[in-house]
Amino acid sequence: MTNVLLIIFAITLLYLGIAHRLLTYIKILALQGVLLFGIAFIELIEINAANLTFVLLETIVIKGIAIPLFLNYVMKRNRITRDAEPFLPNFVSLIIITLIIIATFILSNAIDDSRISKIYFVVALSTLFTGLYIIVTRHKIITHVMGYLIIENGVFILSLALGNEMPALVNLGILLDVFASVFLLGIFVNRVGDVLKDVDVDQLKSLKD
Amino acid sequence: MISLILIILASLFFSGIIIRTKSIASGRKGPGIFQPLKDVIRLFKKGSVYSKTTSFIFQIAPSIYFASIIMAIMVIPLGEYKGIISFEGDFVFFAYVLGVGKFFSIISALDTGSSFEGMGASREALFSMFAEPAFFILMGSFTLLTGHTSFQEIFASLHFGSYISYILWILATVVLVMITMVENSRMPFDDPKTHLELTMVHEVMILDNSGFDLGLILYGTSLKFAMYGALIANLFMGSFPLYITIPLFFGMQMLFAIAVGLLESFTARFRMNHNAQYILTLSSVSLLIFLGVLLILGQFS
Repeated sequence: MTNVLLIIFAITLLYLGIAHRLLTYIKILALQGVLLFGIAFIELIEINAANLTFVLLETIVIKGIAIPLFLNYVMKRNRITRDAEPFLPNFVSLIIITLIIIATFILSNAIDDSRISKIYFVVALSTLFTGLYIIVTRHKIITHVMGYLIIENGVFILSLALGNEMPALVNLGILLDVFASVFLLGIFVNRVGDVLKDVDVDQLKSLKD
Repeated sequence: MISLILIILASLFFSGIIIRTKSIASGRKGPGIFQPLKDVIRLFKKGSVYSKTTSFIFQIAPSIYFASIIMAIMVIPLGEYKGIISFEGDFVFFAYVLGVGKFFSIISALDTGSSFEGMGASREALFSMFAEPAFFILMGSFTLLTGHTSFQEIFASLHFGSYISYILWILATVVLVMITMVENSRMPFDDPKTHLELTMVHEVMILDNSGFDLGLILYGTSLKFAMYGALIANLFMGSFPLYITIPLFFGMQMLFAIAVGLLESFTARFRMNHNAQYILTLSSVSLLIFLGVLLILGQFS
């Protein structure tokens, strides 16, 4: 069952490659939160109840509901335009994300270790690289934060793969979430959308001491 | 043999059901189910008009196109009953026989010398090119999963047991449906009802065809739909006896036609320059099917 959810998770990455609007990105992030909830629920069922409740609440409430709503609110408040504005055409993005999946796939086959769970490894690593790719190729600051959230979903999946042995690792993954929320709050509090008119990363270069 | 007869029977009402679904969905009274068939029969009774700039290619292309579709249908099995032609690796034959038909329809469009038709031909070639890897990765995954290389053996030994096979089956159905839409130039990729030559894909290629030739091409579209519908129905059949598979076959065709009608009623066409990326998504999804097959086989865990 987790394999099914992981394959759907990989499909959301492809969808991310061809999405045009920021709202679609937010919906994908919410869907990823729900998928992570499912994976965590099935995978971590054996760890102690308090920890499990914490992880599940974190995935469904924070990843699935709070962050998407908050992103939406930030977008509306800072009057960020709804286009994702990639540097590269979406067609190239799709090819690159597919290549990322193939590359991680080949990489995981090259690692000859029976202890790692390969499907987790593939999905987690391709999520990580897709997040990096999204950060590198999108104009707006808010898409950078979204790319960071995607990276962090990847880290979460990787930590789930050995969550039963090391529950602390899952919690570490969750700490990253807090870090991302600080990013978000930074955009929110400083109202970057208003100070720099276009919310364009190129203009950050003019910021100096 | 039985699959050929069933597919031809299904093709008689397929376009009609699509049109009927569209008319019901948009609140019109609409034509009857056999209206497209009557149109084809009317066209068959007419003679063709050939422009002076065209050569013999333009005259033979519709027949070759139609023949290629019939050849492709002959390969398709029904559950465990073989098609008329069945050999190892026949899915490659299936794809490239259709490719020959498509090639002839493309060069006949170029033969007319119309710039619009050349444009349509270019688009059709591009979209088919992107749809091809999706089909081959999908069939390759099934070949790997079952260990057989002909349609009949693949479909007879497909069976679903674990969770992961259900998702593969859903994804395979989605990929096949979308390939059908690309190959037939239907709604999300091309609007068959558009009136502007600049935005047409398939319709603009057949602007110069008339009479009998046009009839062949139009009926070929119905046949192609029924053919892919049979392919999708085959995914579900396994090795059931005949009295289950035949109702299942017609049920699937009906469901497929209604689904196509609903899709055409409620979605807008993709922008032309975005089509390529949507079609390429199919290949990426097929790649994930391949990954899933490796998981089932335990090559990769």
